[in-house]
Amino acid sequence: MSLNIFVTEETVAGDDDGPLAGKTVAVKDNISTEGVRTTCGSAMLEEYVPPYDATVVERLKASGATIVGKTNMDEFGMGGTTETSAFGPTKNPVDESRVPGGSSGGSAAAVAAGEADLALGTDTGGSVRNPAAFCGVVGIKPTYGLVSRYGLVAYANSLEQVGPIGSTVEDAAALLDVISGADERDATTRFDQSAEMDAHPAEGSDYAAAADGDVDGLTVGVITDLLEGADDRVVETFEAAVSDLRAQGADVVDVSLESLEHAVQAYYVIAMSEASSNLARYDGVRYGLSTGKEGNWNDVYADTREEGFGAEVKRRILLGTYALSAGYHDKYYKKAQDARAWIKQDFDEAFAEADVLATPTMPVLPPELGESLSDPLQLYLMDANTVPVNLANLPAISVPAGEADGLPVGLQLIGPKFGEETMIRAASAVEN
Amino acid sequence: MTAKALSQRDLATVIGLEVHVQLETDTKIFCGCSTDAAEDEEPNTRTCPVCLGLPGALPVLNEGAVEAAVKVGKALNATVAEHTRFHRKNYYYPDLPKNFQITQYDAPICAEGTLEVSVEGERRDIGIERAHLEEDPGSLQHKGGSIDTADYTLVNYNRAGTPLMEIVTKPDFRSPQETRAFLAKLEEVLEYLGIFDATRDGSLRIDANISMVPAENVGDDGAISDETLAEANRTEVKNISSHKGAEKALAYEVTRQKNAISRGRAVEQETRHWDESRGITVSMRSKEEEKDYRYFREADLPPLEVADWKEKIAIPELPDARRERFREEYGLDAESASKLTSTKEVADFYEDVAEQFDPDLAATWVADNLLGELNYRDMQITDVSHRLDEFTRLVELVAEGSITTKNAEEVVLRGMLDDGDAPDDIVDREGLGAADDDEVVTAVAEAIEENPDAVEDYHAGEGGAVNFLVGQVMQKTGGSADPGDVNQMLREKLDE
Repeated sequence: MSLNIFVTEETVAGDDDGPLAGKTVAVKDNISTEGVRTTCGSAMLEEYVPPYDATVVERLKASGATIVGKTNMDEFGMGGTTETSAFGPTKNPVDESRVPGGSSGGSAAAVAAGEADLALGTDTGGSVRNPAAFCGVVGIKPTYGLVSRYGLVAYANSLEQVGPIGSTVEDAAALLDVISGADERDATTRFDQSAEMDAHPAEGSDYAAAADGDVDGLTVGVITDLLEGADDRVVETFEAAVSDLRAQGADVVDVSLESLEHAVQAYYVIAMSEASSNLARYDGVRYGLSTGKEGNWNDVYADTREEGFGAEVKRRILLGTYALSAGYHDKYYKKAQDARAWIKQDFDEAFAEADVLATPTMPVLPPELGESLSDPLQLYLMDANTVPVNLANLPAISVPAGEADGLPVGLQLIGPKFGEETMIRAASAVEN
Repeated sequence: MTAKALSQRDLATVIGLEVHVQLETDTKIFCGCSTDAAEDEEPNTRTCPVCLGLPGALPVLNEGAVEAAVKVGKALNATVAEHTRFHRKNYYYPDLPKNFQITQYDAPICAEGTLEVSVEGERRDIGIERAHLEEDPGSLQHKGGSIDTADYTLVNYNRAGTPLMEIVTKPDFRSPQETRAFLAKLEEVLEYLGIFDATRDGSLRIDANISMVPAENVGDDGAISDETLAEANRTEVKNISSHKGAEKALAYEVTRQKNAISRGRAVEQETRHWDESRGITVSMRSKEEEKDYRYFREADLPPLEVADWKEKIAIPELPDARRERFREEYGLDAESASKLTSTKEVADFYEDVAEQFDPDLAATWVADNLLGELNYRDMQITDVSHRLDEFTRLVELVAEGSITTKNAEEVVLRGMLDDGDAPDDIVDREGLGAADDDEVVTAVAEAIEENPDAVEDYHAGEGGAVNFLVGQVMQKTGGSADPGDVNQMLREKLDE
């Protein structure tokens, strides 16, 4: 039976040679591909065919990779199970009764199922790391600004990055080598303003080479706050993997970040607020579902959005609109920004004590299909370990730590800003 | 206060303006699309994923627009911010590709400036509250009717993303005339800065807030307390697109509001639309509740440090200063100085000519002759600025006495403008070279000999007779003699 990994299966050949020549890559369906429809898992964009390639797609093509299709995802990235897709859920290749995680569920499943050597996902609050953990593959969320977002259809633009998925740390890192770097079309990848940096950090970096498995002398900080609410089986697997790192020569210390208890709330307020604005353009005028209804344009917009968006997207747009509204802005949006600043500061302090920080990627094992969808709050809490990274603009990687009850458990390593190489080095030791 | 208690003359007018100015940059504010609007341009051709707001496209700030904004800030004596920062203004409207507008909110690029205006000799400083950068939406074409009656509406995104500067004044205007003077002055300054093209459609769009307050609450210096302002109901008049339009629309509003108040009716707090063709304002919607634009930071645009730009970016001498200098340096009267500084191009042209000749002669030729003839032909100085050499040659011909002033004006200058010919070619073709003395002497002798009646009249003391003889001489010399000289020669000859 089909796992429903792809929304659109279409082969796009890359250049004849390059670092990824001969490799197949699956691309998440919120990354623009010229001439190939890009639906974002939404009925709203079912027929939308972008007239341009995202920068990361251009770079993929130039690297010699062959794109094999556009992968299924939670609608506009809003979900952690790939069940909010208008094109139906994707099944987890490890256990078809379970979700693959999300929102980049199709991308992680494609790699896990061998449908593609590599995949591109996007990570706004964990959407690369979550499905990587649930499908037993490796996923990287790069530092904000390391990879161009040009062509990535925005959900929450201050939080998200395109990230690579592979079966090994080295594979994922090699894809990161290809997609990272400054892009004049994404001002957040340009560092000419910054006094502390004279070149983009991707310049002179070799992420694949960093996957050398050498953690001798590296300090790994375990974020104890994020172990508390996690499933015991997950914690057990996680701790075994951490012990293994210690055995390989890493120093393991406990760290606590008080601010993290506010991370989920802060994340959802910010992400939903930005989403309410980013998704405003889908009004059926130039693209997006056109209902063909007539009348006052305001009513036509409302009808279009009522029909074109799924329940979770509507929920987030409404909550985000509310959080930004006069009278509530200070209470929600501004407070969330304050929490974000606090979280960033806490991470800075933690990196004074450790080279990388470790948590279980997901506090739970992959849920059964349909199990969590009815309870949005339950779903949001599943993101507790991943969202702090996005709020702090940091890099993180999810690497398989082992199994519990036959299901994959992911270990998350968080690096300091643009500290991808150290993070990748530590992650490759987890594979040893 | 009660509205009833006030008669029309007890009321004072208070106006504040929000002026949207299109900045003349090569490319749009957030993408590489050209801002050059060709007259016959096909709709929706000057677009790209960014200005169309396609999913995934990102804005990148055009530093040229920031530079232009810094120039405006300097010209308005405003504080220029140390870094730019953009917000999103969220609202749904069909001309807005993303259904939000990228604009500035809590940190405008310019704040707290002034612009001096003069109405009927009275000078006043108009305060500028803020001036910020934003993107222009697209434009709507209502088909088969006006905005509320059209069968359908077309959207053209060519304009979308054109850099706009919104200049917000303080409520410092006390009459519609002052708004007109301010806008004319603002246009002049912006043109001097080389960042504004008044001929472009939609280059200037004005919203005006207008209210009536009790005249007794206005201080001698025109000051009005915030309390007085808050108590007055104001209307916002939209769709004004010129300084003349502003004066007309606001004059209409003054009358309408004063009439309402003097009849004991309150002025409705609302938005009104200026209908230029009918010369009236019409109610658009009641403004009971403030619109909630849900402003928040635009994360796609990192702040740009511009702390040292104010130092680095130079602006040209502004019209007021240049006028003053023309009076001092060239000894021009107020009227000539004003005419010659009306645009930067005219002023530059004049200075080029004045450098080579007597400034007075240059002033006469540029301010009176050239501008007059251009105006008559509906031409601009920019249409001839590339022919500066030819024009200076014409003045040279006059200055050295090679042709008469009359011929220079009536034949050569007009020929230059109408046929595009060079002055020397026209002089040769028309045989306008100034008559030499022998030719004039001969003509004078002939005129006297051929017109004994006139000679007799002259000796009989009839003043008109000599003028008749001058005309005869001019005819014989093909107009190339100097009438003054001829007059003198005739008298000398007749008096011999």
